[in-house]
Amino acid sequence: MTEAENEILEKVKETLKEEIVEIKIPRKRRIFVKIRRKALKQAVKSLKELGFKHISTITGVDLGENIELIYHFAYKGAVELSLRLDVPKNKPDVPTITDIIPGAILYEREVHDLFGVTFEGHPQMARLILPEKWPEGIYPLRKEYTLENLKKLIFEDGEEE
Amino acid sequence: MSLIKEALKQVLKKPATLNYPIEKVPVPEGFRGRPIWDMRKCIGCGLCSRVCPSGAIEMIGKGPQAEIKHYVDRCMFCAQCAESCPRNAITMSQEYELADFDRSKMVYEYKHV
Amino acid sequence: MGYGSVIKVPFGPQHPALKEPEHFTFEVEGDVVVNVKPRIGYNHRGIEKAFERRTYIQNIYLAERICGICSDAHTTCYTQAIENLLGVEAPPRAKYIRVIIAELERIHSHSLWVGIAAHEIGFDTLFMYVWRDREVVMNLFEMISGNRVNYATNTIGGVRRDIPSEMFPKIKKGLDVLEKRLKYYLDVAQTEQTILKRTSGVGILKPKDAVELCAVGPTLRASGIKNDVRADDPYAAYDEIPFNVVTHDGCDVLSRIIVRCKEMFESINIIRYALDHIPSGMIRVRVPMAVPEGETVSRVEAPRGELIHYAKSNGTMQPERYKVRSPTLGNIPALCKMLLGGRVADIPIVLAGIDPCFACMDRMAFVDLKTNKKWVWTMDELKEHVRRNNL
Repeated sequence: MTEAENEILEKVKETLKEEIVEIKIPRKRRIFVKIRRKALKQAVKSLKELGFKHISTITGVDLGENIELIYHFAYKGAVELSLRLDVPKNKPDVPTITDIIPGAILYEREVHDLFGVTFEGHPQMARLILPEKWPEGIYPLRKEYTLENLKKLIFEDGEEE
Repeated sequence: MSLIKEALKQVLKKPATLNYPIEKVPVPEGFRGRPIWDMRKCIGCGLCSRVCPSGAIEMIGKGPQAEIKHYVDRCMFCAQCAESCPRNAITMSQEYELADFDRSKMVYEYKHV
Repeated sequence: MGYGSVIKVPFGPQHPALKEPEHFTFEVEGDVVVNVKPRIGYNHRGIEKAFERRTYIQNIYLAERICGICSDAHTTCYTQAIENLLGVEAPPRAKYIRVIIAELERIHSHSLWVGIAAHEIGFDTLFMYVWRDREVVMNLFEMISGNRVNYATNTIGGVRRDIPSEMFPKIKKGLDVLEKRLKYYLDVAQTEQTILKRTSGVGILKPKDAVELCAVGPTLRASGIKNDVRADDPYAAYDEIPFNVVTHDGCDVLSRIIVRCKEMFESINIIRYALDHIPSGMIRVRVPMAVPEGETVSRVEAPRGELIHYAKSNGTMQPERYKVRSPTLGNIPALCKMLLGGRVADIPIVLAGIDPCFACMDRMAFVDLKTNKKWVWTMDELKEHVRRNNL
């Protein structure tokens, strides 16, 4: 771990305090910080003040009971901080961060499409990636959907190819 | 306007394009064309069909009597099969004009002799 | 939209690259764009889901086929992620070979783009000549990797093919030719009225907006912001090779052309340096088939900008989750900003300005706010409109 990372880590700890659940540093210039769900907005705000102005993307991961959201932030282009939080699968909603970082607008829509996470307050929570005919409520990247049962769900009307 | 000189120069030169398919340039050394199995070397381990990313290789049977079916319509010429083969039985050839209107004709079979 | 067999599952990371479909809805007031709504995903191939069903070795080739133009950037990013999970590192020689291929790819991608930008403003003469000279780099690829696209050089733990030293003089000769030609094209771009009139002051993206909207790559650097993953977060052998991060503060399409042209000179110098300093030794280390549990984030500067992959493994031979974010998606919010307030006639060149898949916009819907009439134009019709009205 270099000095820059230490410094960032200290600042992050200072601002987020008890909201932090876990911190991991797998390698140089990579930090994983797990926070409580409620603290998302506050965390993003303070990260932006610390210099994490660039969001690279938002990753969704299906953990079974929960969906994990990972926000990848970059610090002046170098240190990549991944802010993660769990949202329950039966009520997957988090506040939007587009009012703090407008660049997240498409990434939130992408996660909404593929994982069914709702971002409250997003200006345009419309479909981005999936086709118009795609059935509502089917989120293809969730683990309960495999290629086989998706095929059945989508090709019900026998229009295959 | 600055391109006029360039354009005039090109008038006096041969066309930059190739008169394919009448003229063909030889493919370079190390070109990844259609893979070819040497069945005298094949031991039927099935590694090639397991590593193939696009499922283009089918092995019928197992062991020394196994047959190989190569679906060239699915093949993406990555040469991973040739790399993984423990007996170096697969070589990437120089063949590249492999398209056909009929997919069933794009299957190559290899049998043990 | 039709769905195919098991391979063509319609979800996964979308990757809008060249000549692929994408939809924008523009709201125009007279001739001025007042609102832009992107709708992507027409080319969604379900690659993220497909990653979860394939082994790590098969996924190398899947990653390679996310994009045709920057195939090497994707495999570099993928193999780095998996190497990181495995706790191995590619040998030094492999790292240099990765740099050489990556920079050749950057030259190839940028020169392709310069040609396309020229085509979008109706300057087909330049387009033809740039693409003729691009053949030089394509031939180099053919010599090094055997094929012109999808070089299949990267593998987990290093590279699959060595570059023998007999090839070095040929590569250097090719670079000399390219450098001469590129100097000429840069000169043309900066002096030719056809280009200046169509690109200067068009598609403005202010530095503040570029940062806010998280633009990446040459789009960001053409707004005067020095940001390059190669320099900030070095991977492969970039920490050993000196180079400059090119920026330009014009903030318009012209500066995007200039940034890309100058980046090609940097790439040429990087390759020259790499060829002179390449260490000898192994080109790959053998790695196990199964990857221990873990997760990682891998970043690469693709020709179009920051590329980020996230990998999560579960101890088996297949990844638990694999996420890809290609640079074009990162640039779409910035693109929408650039188009606002611009004229309809400038849409093609502004769209092309971020180097997206721009035949993506084959279907553009126009809404005239005053009459509320809706119509759809193809790219060619739009260009015809430009020609007819002498815009």
